[in-house]
Amino acid sequence: MMRRRHAALPWVAPAMFVLIALSVYPMFYAVKVSLTSPSGAWTLSNFTRLFQDRLFGIALIQTVVFTGAALAVEFLLGLALALLIDSLTRGKSLFRAGMLVPMLLPPVVAAVAWRLIYNPQFGVLNGTLRRMGADTSALTWTSGDASALASVILVDIWEWTPFLFLLLSAGLQAIPQEPIEAARIDGASAWQILRDVTLPLLKPTILLALLLRAMDLVRIFDQIFILTQGGPGTATETASLYIYRTAFRFSNFGYAAAMSFVLLAATMLFSRGLMRLLRSPK
Amino acid sequence: MLLRLIAIALLCGIAACSRSTERSLTIAVNAGVEGSALKAAAQEWGASKGVKVEVVELPYANLFEKEQLDLTSRTGAYDVIMLDDPWFPKLVENGNLAALSRDPDADFVGPCLDVCKNPYRSGRYYALPYVGNSQLFFYRKDLFEKYKLASPATWHDVLAAAKKIGDGEKMFGYVMRAAAGNAVVADFMPLLWAFGGDVLDASGKPVCDSPAAIDALRFMLELGKLSPPGYAGFNADEVSAHLLQSTAAMSINWPAWISAMDDPAKSKVTGKIEFVPMPGERASGVGELGTWLVAVPAASKHAADAFEFIFWATEPAQMKKAAQRGNPPTRKSVFEDAELRAKYRAFPAQLKSLEAARPRPRTPQWNEIENAFGIYLSKANAGTMPADEAMRAAAREIAQVVARGQAK
Repeated sequence: MMRRRHAALPWVAPAMFVLIALSVYPMFYAVKVSLTSPSGAWTLSNFTRLFQDRLFGIALIQTVVFTGAALAVEFLLGLALALLIDSLTRGKSLFRAGMLVPMLLPPVVAAVAWRLIYNPQFGVLNGTLRRMGADTSALTWTSGDASALASVILVDIWEWTPFLFLLLSAGLQAIPQEPIEAARIDGASAWQILRDVTLPLLKPTILLALLLRAMDLVRIFDQIFILTQGGPGTATETASLYIYRTAFRFSNFGYAAAMSFVLLAATMLFSRGLMRLLRSPK
Repeated sequence: MLLRLIAIALLCGIAACSRSTERSLTIAVNAGVEGSALKAAAQEWGASKGVKVEVVELPYANLFEKEQLDLTSRTGAYDVIMLDDPWFPKLVENGNLAALSRDPDADFVGPCLDVCKNPYRSGRYYALPYVGNSQLFFYRKDLFEKYKLASPATWHDVLAAAKKIGDGEKMFGYVMRAAAGNAVVADFMPLLWAFGGDVLDASGKPVCDSPAAIDALRFMLELGKLSPPGYAGFNADEVSAHLLQSTAAMSINWPAWISAMDDPAKSKVTGKIEFVPMPGERASGVGELGTWLVAVPAASKHAADAFEFIFWATEPAQMKKAAQRGNPPTRKSVFEDAELRAKYRAFPAQLKSLEAARPRPRTPQWNEIENAFGIYLSKANAGTMPADEAMRAAAREIAQVVARGQAK
C-alpha cells in the first residue's frame, strides 16, 4: 500500500508544486503582509483600522447591495428565460446562441459600450427616449447619486443573466420527465408542477449557479472602474475597487491584504449560508 | 551523453555571458501621444548608439502600478521610466530614483524643473521634464465676439459669459469634469487657487475647509448649473465632446485636446476656440501642472546609458521633434521656435500658462489625498452634500491620511 502511494508521488508533485507556488505561498505571504507595518514590524494595525474606516464600511455595504440586487434579478430572469426557451418546440438552439452574446464580450468592452450608451447628451439611451418625446434632462444614469448604482447593476444584469440562463437551461434538460408527466396526469396545474416538481429537482443546479455568480459578483471591479470609478462620491464604490485603490494607487499593500481577508471571510460565510438555505428540507 | 550535456551547458553559459555584456535599455512609457514620442526617440537613439532598446508601453492606469512594483522590489526591469509629476514624491522619497549625473540647463521652464527636485524646488535633480503639460482655458472666441465679451480675466467673467452665451445660443455656457477622483480635483484646483485657497498649508496640514476654499466650491457649483446634466460623472472625453460638438462654450482642458479642436474630421468648431491661461479671481489665474518626467530607477542595470539617453531625449533638437509628434515641450526655446509657433497657434498661451503653473501638493500621500478630496467634491457636485459640509468632511478625511503618512 505504502509503495503504491510513493509511486504516485512523482506524478502528483508537479501539480502540487504549481498549487503551492500559485495559491498556498501567495496566501501565506498575504497573511504576512497584512500583519506587517511599513517599517517591517509585526502589527495588528491593519486589522484594527478596518473598524475605523468609514469608506471600507460603505464599500462593503454597497458590495452587499450590488451582489444581492444583481443576483436576485439575474436569477429570476435567467430562470424565466430558461423555462420559456425550454418550453419551445422549435428554435431552441438559435435562442440559446443569441442569449450568450453579451456574456461572450469582455467585461471591459461591455462597460465601455455602456458608458457611451449612458452618456446623458450623446448616448443612444437618452437619444431614443428624447425621440419618443420624453424629457431626459433629469436622466443622468451613471452620473446621478441615486441612479448610478442601479445603472451599474443594469449592465451586470445585461451581461451575466445569460450565464444563469445557460446553467439553469442545462439543469432543466437534465431533469427526468417522468415525475412531470405523472404530475400532469394527476391533474396538477403548470404552477404546481413548477413549484412542487421542477424547482425541487432543479435545486442542485440552482445552488451551483447562485454560488458561482455570487462569488463573481462580490469581486465586481472592471465594469465599475470603467463606468463610474466608484462615484459620484462613493455611490458605486465596492470593496474590490477600494482594495485595488489601496494597494496599487496608495501603495498600502498591508491594509489591502487585511481588507481582502475580510472580503474572503464574508464571501465564505455568504456561500455557506446559501448552501445551507438551499440544502435545507422543504 | 554526459559530455554532450556539459557541452550544451557551457554553450548556454557563454551565450548568457555574451548577452549580459550587450548594451541594452528597457524603457517604460505611457501608452499615448506622450509615450509614442519618447518611443520614437528611443528607437532613433538606440540605432545611432548600437544599443538594443525595448519600450514597454502601458496605459496610464497601469503605468504607476508597474513602475512602483518594479522600483520598490528593485528588480531593475526598467532602465528609464516615464512618470507623471504627482508620482515623483512617492518614488523619490522611497529612494527609488537615481540622482541625475549632472544638472539640467536653464532653458527648461521653471515649474517643470522645480518638480524634478527633491525636496521640491530646493533639492537635487532626480528627473528631467519631457512633456510640458499645464491646464489651459478653452473658450469660443466667435461667440465672445458675437456677444461683445472680452477674453475672460476672472472666474466671475466666465460665469457671466456662460450665462449670456448659454441663454443666447441655447447651448451649455460651461462644461466641466466632475467624476470622482482625479477628474473633479483637476477641474477644481484652478478655482481653489484663484479664490486664494489650497489643499494643504506649508506644514502639510489640510486647509481645504477654509472660507476661501468653500467659496471656490460654491462657485464651482454655480458653474455646474450652467454645465450639461450629468457633468458630475464627466471625464475629459465627455468635456471635449461637448466642445467639439459645439454644445458647450467654455471649459478647462489640457493641451492634448488642442489639435482635436482644430481638426475638421473631429471638430465642428475648427478655428473658433481660443486657448488662454487660466482666469484669476482673488489671486492670479493658475493652471495645474501635469508634466511628464523621465527618470532613471536606482536599481537600473544600465544607468550610464540611461542617463545618456534622457539627457539626449530632452535636448532642444529632440524636444522639437517630440513637439512635432504632438508633445508640448518643456523648453522655452522650443516654445519660441518660429517654425513651431507658425504650426501651433496655442504655443504662446501654453508657455505663459506653463510658466505660471502650479504642481499638485508635493507629498507622497497625494494619490490618497486626491482620492479623499475627490469623493467630497464629487458629492457636492452630485448635489448630495452642501459645499461647506463637503469641504469640512474632506479636510477631516485628508487629516487622517496625513496622520497615517506621518506615522510611517
